[in-house]
Amino acid sequence: MYRLLNCCGKSKKEDVMQIQKDIVLFGYGTFGRQLYKNLRSRGHKVKIVVGLDDYVEVESDSGVDITRINIKRNDDILALNVNAAESIFYCAMNKTANNLFLVLTLKSLYPQANVIANSNSNETTRKLKYAGATSVIDLYEATSRRIVNVLTKPAVSMALDEIVYKQNDLQMLEIELQENTFLEGKYVSEIKFRQMGIILIAIIDKELGYELVFTDHRINHKLDAGDILVIVAKKENISKFQEILKKG
Amino acid sequence: MEKPKHKLLSFAYFLESSKVYNKIKKFVYDLIENDEYKYKRYFDIFMIFVILSSVTLLVMDVKRHIPHWLDDFDLYFVTTVFVVEYLLRMWVYSDIHKIIIDEYEESSYFDKEVSYYSLFTNIVKNKWAYMVSFSAIIDLIAILPSYRGLRVLRVFVLFRAFKMLRYTKSLTGFLYVLKNKKFELMTLLTLSTFFIFIAGIMLYVFEGDNENPNIHNLFDAFYWALITISTVGYGDIAPVTPEGRIVTMLIIFTGIGLISFVTSIIVSSFNERLSVLREDRVVQEVGKKKKLTVVCGYGLLGRLVVKGLQKEGVEFIIIDRSEEMAAVAYNDGYHAICADATKGTIFEKLGIDDRISHVLCLTSDDIQNAFIAVNVKSLNSEVYVTARCSDQEIATKMEYAHVDQVIMPEEVAGMMGAVYAGEPVAFEVLLSIIEEKEKTHINEIAIAEGSFLDNKMIGEVDFERLRLILLGVFKRSEESKLGEFIFNPSDEFVLNAGDNLVCIGYSTAVANLKRKM
Repeated sequence: MYRLLNCCGKSKKEDVMQIQKDIVLFGYGTFGRQLYKNLRSRGHKVKIVVGLDDYVEVESDSGVDITRINIKRNDDILALNVNAAESIFYCAMNKTANNLFLVLTLKSLYPQANVIANSNSNETTRKLKYAGATSVIDLYEATSRRIVNVLTKPAVSMALDEIVYKQNDLQMLEIELQENTFLEGKYVSEIKFRQMGIILIAIIDKELGYELVFTDHRINHKLDAGDILVIVAKKENISKFQEILKKG
Repeated sequence: MEKPKHKLLSFAYFLESSKVYNKIKKFVYDLIENDEYKYKRYFDIFMIFVILSSVTLLVMDVKRHIPHWLDDFDLYFVTTVFVVEYLLRMWVYSDIHKIIIDEYEESSYFDKEVSYYSLFTNIVKNKWAYMVSFSAIIDLIAILPSYRGLRVLRVFVLFRAFKMLRYTKSLTGFLYVLKNKKFELMTLLTLSTFFIFIAGIMLYVFEGDNENPNIHNLFDAFYWALITISTVGYGDIAPVTPEGRIVTMLIIFTGIGLISFVTSIIVSSFNERLSVLREDRVVQEVGKKKKLTVVCGYGLLGRLVVKGLQKEGVEFIIIDRSEEMAAVAYNDGYHAICADATKGTIFEKLGIDDRISHVLCLTSDDIQNAFIAVNVKSLNSEVYVTARCSDQEIATKMEYAHVDQVIMPEEVAGMMGAVYAGEPVAFEVLLSIIEEKEKTHINEIAIAEGSFLDNKMIGEVDFERLRLILLGVFKRSEESKLGEFIFNPSDEFVLNAGDNLVCIGYSTAVANLKRKM
């Protein structure tokens, strides 16, 4: 279910956990711009593609590189020369119909491609998923949750702000366990994650067919190579943790 | 001459500053005039009972004499109640002591002697304004039947029935409809009076001269004209001459026209009024709630938010500018009204001063949202306002207007999208937690005073047994309600009452801990 993208292969020393990706972003509207900004701040390489007659608002000094193509033509998309297996496609066009068409095109050209599309309702999400989108980002779902949380669970909303939305020391990330780490063969309860300044939220278990297991202590999970840990921690603690992992 | 003046003034000031006096007056006002006051209902029911009993006695008295004690009840009790009510209404209508103070202040400003004459006339004028109001006149007439000297006054008991209008809201709604179409109805009344007048005179001229044995005078002719034009047509007086029959035929046609005209005016007026009546009902229904959230805009985002609020048990009302959207929300089973949220009226109606706690501006138009936010903030800056926005520049302006939370859907979604690029698994976990698609949710638990977590160290709490993952704690502080977020607090961290734990876990696990609190 979760196609994994070689997450924790080689990592650079100074920015331990972030891996640069090649990203193709279709559409540069309000959402596209925000996406671009966030992707760039995380160090990804982004190529922006827009339709021939889409209006694009670009500040002259922003250095944004935009390619214009006819998105209806396969040749134009093939001419972008994208390594589909290594890249992520974002369909963030303003019109739902265009996104849907784009997902269909990309999936038919590159069946293995990782395609993310934006949607504005359950209805659109259903169609995009059917068309083959790997994941769908609902423009309003997360926002509405946030608005409701501020009213009913202010602490939760502020905690999520700290962990997810604000660019600060705290980060949520995933770590794939390599062979021969000290964690291999151990049970989750044996490891003092908290003392390492790390909170383990969930595990994707390879043996269970990539099933998502939340670690709210109902199951004492045994860790193996290939498992993916989803953790929240401060950056320094993540670096330390990865150092320990490397030592084996 | 100096002394009494001062006495009057000091008495007026005494009333102005007296807490007890003002409290009593406020209570009386609420009880008899304020529809929002919860005990007014009991007063209304009591008055309706008194009126109905008095009307029943009138009817019973027609055929047989009622017992003496019942007559006394009617004469003394009912009359007393009405007189007292009349006087109380006159009392709360305005404040005499304020007039006195104003008068004295004005005269001292101009260094003049206070003129008793102008003071007196001002007071009388003020109260007179109440006495000549429509409802006050009805009230007064309703008291008259208590005077037993004139039997014809007994009929005025029916004015007591009129008084009932005061105590029932739906009936006032009907009167309002008539009042609204006053001009049209008056035109029609004049027109029909004119026709009746003409037709009556014509018939009298043609048949009054012994031609028709039933028409003795002009009154009979007018009576006949009204019965015919209204299409009632008793037939006790019928025209006998060809001329009279031609007049009849003409006024029958005009009659049909007039009747259908009246009907259509009243029906259309009711239709116009219907949405207002429904709005009133919705406002009244949510009016009982203490903390109310107002959602402006029922678009894609509005719908999702409303669904979330419903699930969390938040009391809310939807306002949408478009009639169609308001109807959709209403049909979805929510409290919804069609209103312009950029105007103050609707918020005042809903209780901006004490009832509304949150306002969410979620229309798809940024400028509209800014407009609503400023409107609400200018009415009451205490209300927590959340505004949706897609433009950074407008967001800055909203923050300048002290909007408490400016949220940009594109920004939130953009951030989520960027998380996916580096951490696809973390993204899915995040999505499932945020959108609550699985049973594991993120939740908060406030530590209650004296509960088993109060004054405990984190290390002493077995979160494993509680089946919860502790993300962090909001330490209560003096300055802000939530305080600072402390991520993954150490074992030595001491929990106190008022702190908030942020946990991830099964909803039942959270409920379990909350129960233990």
